[in-house]
Amino acid sequence: MGLDYQLVLWNKHKKTYDKIIAFSMLLYIILFAVITLVFNAETSIETLVIRAFGSLAIIMLHIILVIGPLARLNSNFLPILYNRRHLGVSMFIAALIHGGFSIFQFHALGDVNPIYSVFTSNMDYASLTNFPFQVLGFLALLILFVMASTSHDFFLGNLSAKVWKRLHMLVYVAYALIIAHVFLGAFQQETSVFTIGILVIGFVIVVSLHLITAFKEGKIDAAKAEEKEGWLKVCDISEIEEDRAKIFTVENERVAIFKYDGKLSAIHNVCKHQGGPLGEGKIIDGCITCPWHGYQYLPGNGQSPPPFTEKVATYALKLQGEMIYINPDAFNEGTEVEPCNY
Amino acid sequence: MEIIITIFLIALGTYVLIGLLFGLYFLFKGAAKIDPLMQDTKKRVRFLLFPGVAATWPFLIRKLFKPKTT
Repeated sequence: MGLDYQLVLWNKHKKTYDKIIAFSMLLYIILFAVITLVFNAETSIETLVIRAFGSLAIIMLHIILVIGPLARLNSNFLPILYNRRHLGVSMFIAALIHGGFSIFQFHALGDVNPIYSVFTSNMDYASLTNFPFQVLGFLALLILFVMASTSHDFFLGNLSAKVWKRLHMLVYVAYALIIAHVFLGAFQQETSVFTIGILVIGFVIVVSLHLITAFKEGKIDAAKAEEKEGWLKVCDISEIEEDRAKIFTVENERVAIFKYDGKLSAIHNVCKHQGGPLGEGKIIDGCITCPWHGYQYLPGNGQSPPPFTEKVATYALKLQGEMIYINPDAFNEGTEVEPCNY
Repeated sequence: MEIIITIFLIALGTYVLIGLLFGLYFLFKGAAKIDPLMQDTKKRVRFLLFPGVAATWPFLIRKLFKPKTT
């Protein structure tokens, strides 16, 4: 939400989170090195760096993957979600150090191009136990690079939200490649038991949280509203908290109905910035505020306050007693709709 | 298999090379043509965006040839 682009969108809270990320990464690397050297003093520095940063990147990737579902299940996790972009870039840096050192140690000291060597030094592609697992890590690193390098609002605006989202959904492809990379590496005894343990526990947590969230959201989408003369019955006023919203699915689109200052307004649930769920945000300073990055919209017309230009679709509401009804036909984005007074 | 790998890596190298050239064009000339907001944006932001521009050049290059709607 701005009239020019900033190098990094920092504020006091984000700086604090970034310091926590940097400190945690440093602490992990030091602890990993100390523990490794205590138990295996002969470990070379290159191997230590490769393993420390590889396992760090895996842990960070798991945290990144569970932040979304956790924030949907419990709003206390939302502050971590705000900082996911910086966490992602930090994770890529850890993965890059792991990959860079690996390529240098195993592929850069011969007379073959190191990247070509990654793909051809072991041609046993048909084998499970001797599969060239480093190729999978390299491909995952390429995906993480694209994601990290496009983690800026410039790309969201210029690639289009749809393309940007699709690019960033590739994180699941990268995750699958990394799982295969570690497990196939384990067959060749180049992966520590510790890393495999993290991966197994992490995989179970990631999958479980995604399934629970999908089940919860599936219930919202499956709820069928009762129709009355073209209006859909949604809920009682008392079911919505003050300055908060309730999300409903209307004509296959999610709509957020906000309750504020004795009024009710309905807007499309998807934020124009990164597709955040507006209905999980709240009214701050009279504006609907996206829980992901704080983009704001006026509840009466779905427009960002001037000079900003983002707009979302609005919907007409009516009250019968305490019951809220919505007209399922959306108005054009940014259309002024008289709030429903109660 | 080696042929497939060679073709893949040549394609990847070509993609990266074009991306780097496009990234240089973006740095010194094209940024504001792609996005008018870049006009008032500090130069160092362009350097930060360089790797992403090089990685996503097929999407951004289309914006250069899109007729302006205003």
